[in-house]
Amino acid sequence: MTKMVRFLAAATLLTLAAGCSSSTTSTGTTNASDVSTQPTQPADSATPTAGATINVPADVATIQGAVDKAKPGDLVLIQPGVYKEAVTVETENLTIRGIDRNTTILDGNFELNNGIKVVGANGVAIENLTARNYTKNGFFWTGVTGYRGSYLTAFRNGDYGIYAFLSYKGQLEHSYGAGSPDAGFYIGGCYPCDALINDVTSEYNGLGYSGTNAGGNLVIVNSIFRFNRAGVVPNSGSYELCYPERATTVVGNVVYSNNQPDTPAIDVSLLAMGNGILVAGGVNNNIERNLVFDHDKTGVGLVPFLEQDPNDAEPSQDTWDRACADTENDPAPDPSTVPAAVLWSPFNNRVIGNVLENNRVADIAVDTVDVDLSTLGNCFSGNTFKTSAPLDLEKLGPCDAAGNGGDWTAGSLNVISWLADVHPPSQDYKTSSPEPPSQTNMPDAATAPARPATDVPEKIDVAAIKVPAKPAP
Amino acid sequence: MISVVRGGRLTIAVLLSLSVVACTRAGNDASTTVSDSTAALNRPLAGAPDKPVAGPQGRVPQFLVECPLSHTSYDDPIVFPNAPDASHLHAFFGNNGTNAASTYESLLAGTTNCDQPADTAAYWVPALMQGDTMITPIKSVAYYRPGEGVDPTAVQPYPPGLKIVAGDGGAEQPQNTAVVAFTCGTAIRREVLPPSCPEHRPLRMMVTFPDCWDGVNLDSDDHASHMTYSSGGACPATHPVPVAQLQFSVDYGFSGDPAGLSLSSGSMLTGHADFLNSWAQNKLVAEIGSCLHRKVVCGITSGRV
Repeated sequence: MTKMVRFLAAATLLTLAAGCSSSTTSTGTTNASDVSTQPTQPADSATPTAGATINVPADVATIQGAVDKAKPGDLVLIQPGVYKEAVTVETENLTIRGIDRNTTILDGNFELNNGIKVVGANGVAIENLTARNYTKNGFFWTGVTGYRGSYLTAFRNGDYGIYAFLSYKGQLEHSYGAGSPDAGFYIGGCYPCDALINDVTSEYNGLGYSGTNAGGNLVIVNSIFRFNRAGVVPNSGSYELCYPERATTVVGNVVYSNNQPDTPAIDVSLLAMGNGILVAGGVNNNIERNLVFDHDKTGVGLVPFLEQDPNDAEPSQDTWDRACADTENDPAPDPSTVPAAVLWSPFNNRVIGNVLENNRVADIAVDTVDVDLSTLGNCFSGNTFKTSAPLDLEKLGPCDAAGNGGDWTAGSLNVISWLADVHPPSQDYKTSSPEPPSQTNMPDAATAPARPATDVPEKIDVAAIKVPAKPAP
Repeated sequence: MISVVRGGRLTIAVLLSLSVVACTRAGNDASTTVSDSTAALNRPLAGAPDKPVAGPQGRVPQFLVECPLSHTSYDDPIVFPNAPDASHLHAFFGNNGTNAASTYESLLAGTTNCDQPADTAAYWVPALMQGDTMITPIKSVAYYRPGEGVDPTAVQPYPPGLKIVAGDGGAEQPQNTAVVAFTCGTAIRREVLPPSCPEHRPLRMMVTFPDCWDGVNLDSDDHASHMTYSSGGACPATHPVPVAQLQFSVDYGFSGDPAGLSLSSGSMLTGHADFLNSWAQNKLVAEIGSCLHRKVVCGITSGRV
């Protein structure tokens, strides 16, 4: 790093005057550089053309150099090696692919922030790569429409493994995220998101999945969330735009043993610890046909999130259909009118046909604070379960039918008591998670043509997904 | 994006102003005797933003850099250049070598402890004290954004070597919370004095820097008058160049009762921060172009720390 900085020091005034296209020069296996060139002007690429292939390191020594050289529609094809780069992508419709997922590795050395960061460039697909040891995120899209991450491995990263923020029309699939204190997979700040998470594994994170203020055709299917502090946690909060979390569909996943005591863990993941699928202040979510077992607290829990010192007041229910793109233009909240705390309660969530076992406080549960649970509109039907909180939950609040008018306070989850729980402390993300096992490669990585993320999310027949079988121990 | 032509002009302006600064600063260096460093501190009169910068993250384009504490010393290369130990105790972030003798060139040749290796800029604040003990910061976060209402595509990079001081290190009255404020974690509240914060959202000091440059001077005798704040989304004719509005936040590992806290510059009313732009300039230019000009939220801090 220091050499590069010194080089830049000498060259700064010159490059500034010259319009500065900084080309990186050392080899792909050793170069440490988060020095991107100036933004490439996005081309008008409504119809992406079949592009060129730029080979790293044969054609260009670094991934950043190749990305900067690439035109929309091009394929950046990366040979195995350890690339100590933080790559910024500003060109639309690129496909960035490793030849071998397990040996084509971006490494942040705990100094660089993001492995690959796609900034406002639509349609960028990233395939068959590993990103590890970044202080922030392994793979990160922000402010884009159209993104795809396939056959990615992200581990030991300081915030998230694979992360899409304020982004729309995306797909994360056949990927692995581990060892992050926040979430292995995260989609945040979008409504309607139009995004699909399919066939991923997330383990040894604070949270397996987190989706703050995300939703709207956001579908999470056929995936494994295990050995995290907590498994799948859609959540609301005014610290980021576009609240509340809404309309996430979680179907056909295997969610188990999310009580892991030795992971890195942000504060809320400690609070959420021991829960499989935990909707924290979210609304209109569909949680169906998941297999959820071995949790210290709940299998599927609908709980409030008490946000102290919030950044805004809770929006009224009649505004919950507003698109994020609309709310982005709202004036900033006036600090003097923001309450001391907001209680985000779970509303109108549907929990149907899940198979639950050995969730030791309750297989299915709903709770909030100082609000009559019968008024929240959450429903539970067709689940295979033994315990619920409150008791007889499927009779109190069945889906598409009248409840029995029973007592919603009997056998309460008593979620407020969670605030006083003591959990094993967060471990250092740099050292705490195990080395991941070898992961499945993308088929034909060396020869498959470029496929920018202009065709995502794919349509998926959610209704056809069945409760998955229990994995072998 | 900075065009070739604009970049060229900027460079010329910078070189000119560098020489101007070198001349005007001649009588203000090591020979200066400082009997009362607090009294000798600049009193920035750069105004204030129209209102505190606050609200959910993601509302405006930004990029950010996180840096842990680098080192502490009694040096201040802006206010007391070449006069070691002339100031109050400072906590330095970013550039690892910042000292009284630091110049743009020396900093640029140095290293950084930030998560953005091209950010070799120097950031510093007065030390937070509890009695005689410094409260060690957990980290700093430098947010770079357009000023409120300023067209993001109009924001220019700082010229190399620009020096900015924000807040009043000699304040005896409450400062405008749009310039200096305390909060807990990333909460929206903006307090003149530190609130009592819970353990999981510890104390944060936020200093918002002026975002309008006079286009000529990298510094000024009072270290303030070459900069001012935008208002109503526009920079005044006296300071016509909109630059990024740096909001420098320091997270302290401190929660609970704030009584007994002070700053090394004086009471808790004396919050301020200093910035010397020694970024690898082409990366700063790239970040401005990539994030602000294209209106992208390039990063956020976890609001849940």
